[in-house]
Amino acid sequence: MEIFDNLLMGLSIAITPINLMYLLIGASIGMMIGAIPGFGPSAGIAILLPLTFSMSPISAVMMLAAIYYGAMFGGTITAILLNTPGDSTTVASTFDGFPLAQRGRAGPALVMQACASFVGGTIGVILITLLAPIFSMVTRSFGPPEFFLLCVMGLLTLVALMSGNWILGLISALIGFALGTVGVDLETGHQRFTFGAVELIGGIHFIPVAIGLFGIGELFYAFYNGAHKSGSGGIIQYQNESRFWPTKQDLIDCKYTMPRNSILGFVIGIIPGAGATIASLMAYSLERSLSKNPEKFGMGEMRGLVAPESANNAASSGAMVPLLTLGIPGSASTAVLLAAFLMWGLRPGPLLMEQNPEFAWGLISSMYLGNMALLVLSVFAIPLFVYIIKAPYRILAPLVLVVCTLGTFSVNASIVETFIMLAAGIVGFYMKRLGFSPAAVVLALVLGPMAEESLRQTLLISRGSFDIFFIRQASVYILVFFAAIILGGAFLNSQRRRDKLKENTV
Amino acid sequence: MTTLKTTITTRPQVFAVACIAASSLLLAAPFAAADEYDPSKQLNVTIAFGPGGGNDVLARTLIEILDKYDLYEGDIVATNRPGGSGAVGWGYIYSQQGNPHHISTTSGSFIATPLQADTPWDTLDFTHVALMAADDQVLVVNAESSINTFEEFVEYAQQEPLSVGGIGSVNNDFIVAQLLSVEAGYEYDYIPFNQQGELTTALLSNSIDAMVATPGSIIGLIEAGDFRALAFSAEQVPEALEGVPSFEELGVADAAVPMPRGLILPPNVSDEARQWWIDTITEVVETPEWQEYVKANFLTENVLLGDDFTGFLETSINNFRTILTETGAI
Repeated sequence: MEIFDNLLMGLSIAITPINLMYLLIGASIGMMIGAIPGFGPSAGIAILLPLTFSMSPISAVMMLAAIYYGAMFGGTITAILLNTPGDSTTVASTFDGFPLAQRGRAGPALVMQACASFVGGTIGVILITLLAPIFSMVTRSFGPPEFFLLCVMGLLTLVALMSGNWILGLISALIGFALGTVGVDLETGHQRFTFGAVELIGGIHFIPVAIGLFGIGELFYAFYNGAHKSGSGGIIQYQNESRFWPTKQDLIDCKYTMPRNSILGFVIGIIPGAGATIASLMAYSLERSLSKNPEKFGMGEMRGLVAPESANNAASSGAMVPLLTLGIPGSASTAVLLAAFLMWGLRPGPLLMEQNPEFAWGLISSMYLGNMALLVLSVFAIPLFVYIIKAPYRILAPLVLVVCTLGTFSVNASIVETFIMLAAGIVGFYMKRLGFSPAAVVLALVLGPMAEESLRQTLLISRGSFDIFFIRQASVYILVFFAAIILGGAFLNSQRRRDKLKENTV
Repeated sequence: MTTLKTTITTRPQVFAVACIAASSLLLAAPFAAADEYDPSKQLNVTIAFGPGGGNDVLARTLIEILDKYDLYEGDIVATNRPGGSGAVGWGYIYSQQGNPHHISTTSGSFIATPLQADTPWDTLDFTHVALMAADDQVLVVNAESSINTFEEFVEYAQQEPLSVGGIGSVNNDFIVAQLLSVEAGYEYDYIPFNQQGELTTALLSNSIDAMVATPGSIIGLIEAGDFRALAFSAEQVPEALEGVPSFEELGVADAAVPMPRGLILPPNVSDEARQWWIDTITEVVETPEWQEYVKANFLTENVLLGDDFTGFLETSINNFRTILTETGAI
């Protein structure tokens, strides 16, 4: 029972008044940062990093990690209430989160997402506690070929998003891919479509595009529909005020959704690179394909919100596995944490957990406490957010516009990105009016460059041969898994069609 | 939001005095500016990259030391101006021509970006203060590999080209990998990555045969025996890499292109101001805090003041330009 001894030791370190205080501060800051569109966890951690130099490393890392997973809790709030994902990881949460809010179920949606986040985060920490060294094997077997296959899986989920209109969906995805080609080409170092602008060397970032297409586009659309003329609650019909808590049916519907997508999210989160984004998308499409009523997804289905939420929170725990067991940063946020480890004189790597057990186990134990604290904080904060949303639209809309603009500008202090956001807002309005899919644009923008880079790396390594996908053990496993999902999906579909046919004939 | 303020003069009256002093100096500027550097004015530190990166940590460590040892009297304000691989931040410093109260820290992109992109500024336009340390590279293979030494690595590579990974294609990693192959005489495939995490994972999963990296990013994996270090680019091998031969010992000394961790001022700053900063940096690099920073980040102690730093940059630029022209990147 070495694990329990370790965990107890960790808890004894985490539960000191001063550490608990830092943990709570981190969790609250994380939630707030997550709730501001554009302001992701990596920016939050990086800004607070210099303030932690005078703290003990354990207190500091507890606080910074709490900001990281706290932002995962907070990020969904704007995704649900304003259709504005704060980070690429919460794009999938807008698909059903916002329709739920529109249908007057903002309260239950927020409570359920907090629960899903808690379950996802906690299952993630349990898996770290019990199996971190085993899961680090996933990282050890993941090279560019496997990463490319994973990106393809993520891109396949686009199909699920396009169910409405194939052609418009496809055009949307192609726009996203096109935007993704802007910037310096990794292989040759040449600039692509930057037109000499230094601001575009690094490519078009996801955040301004997503905030524009979703948040600002939605605002314009609401104005177009005359929401500012009505007395209150423009975008969201908040009629059923009494129903703050989710119904029993919501909980019954989601009883398997949370655990299975948490595990999925955790495993994907371990892979350095796109972890939480791909995880949330895969969770969404997994849940959709397992559902008896896939047509309800996108119209405000609770499972469609709970699935990506459990997955992205579990993935943020998963990202701690390569960080703690190998010293490899899986995301921008964990890269900042890694820099902090070095500043504190730790040596991140396979020996970290052996050489600094108080540090590693203190952090892991604090994640249990942090997730609980965040659940409580959420339940207190949700009524506040719902209250804000009840403000008349003519007051709310300018505020949202200001917050989105400030959030986008502040991340890189870039006026160019602010203009990209506003331009994307106008495009987003027309996309919504004409039935294009903004979700397909941003996902293609995130996954397209990743897929391109990993495929080119793979082919450089194999010198142009596609055999590499069938030679490497891990690749073969993924391909088999792939085939199983596609065949399984096809089987479920035909089964469903047969059932429907039967119903119709009876 | 990415602006952080380090206030040295905390008491309001001191600050007021400083303000009065500063404003009176402003009036007398035509007479005073040419003679003496005034360290009581607000100092603006531009960080050309986002928070949390190597450049950011360097700048903030420097500010902490200036603060702690009272080496700078006035307020110090640090601002992150990321974008375009440093083009935006250093472009801002470039626009502050002649203003000695703006400083910025450098990294590999300080050389690579103007070569690669059409920036209005050039590396040599700025007033170079000092190289404070260098980020050197280590060549590593997976410990499961049958390659045990650099000699074996060259042998293998001569029989069949190996794949060597690194960060970016117009970057120190690539320049070092390319120079190594030229110096030792072998063919190889360079595989560029965007993030250190993806690169490290690629070597860990045996997707690539070797990689070039800064020691700080992979030291843990070397110590744990997952990676085997074959060669280190600087003469002075860090303690943690004891026993690893340097490029010099291997006879490929010319392949070493360290990343400059240095300090610059805007173009056309007076010699007095430059000298003031050279003297100050001489004190900074002597402090235990600086030594600790160099050690914790596995940097190489390498201090070059004034024109020596300019010379260092010129050599690096030539190296970059020659290779990148040969490979067709620029």
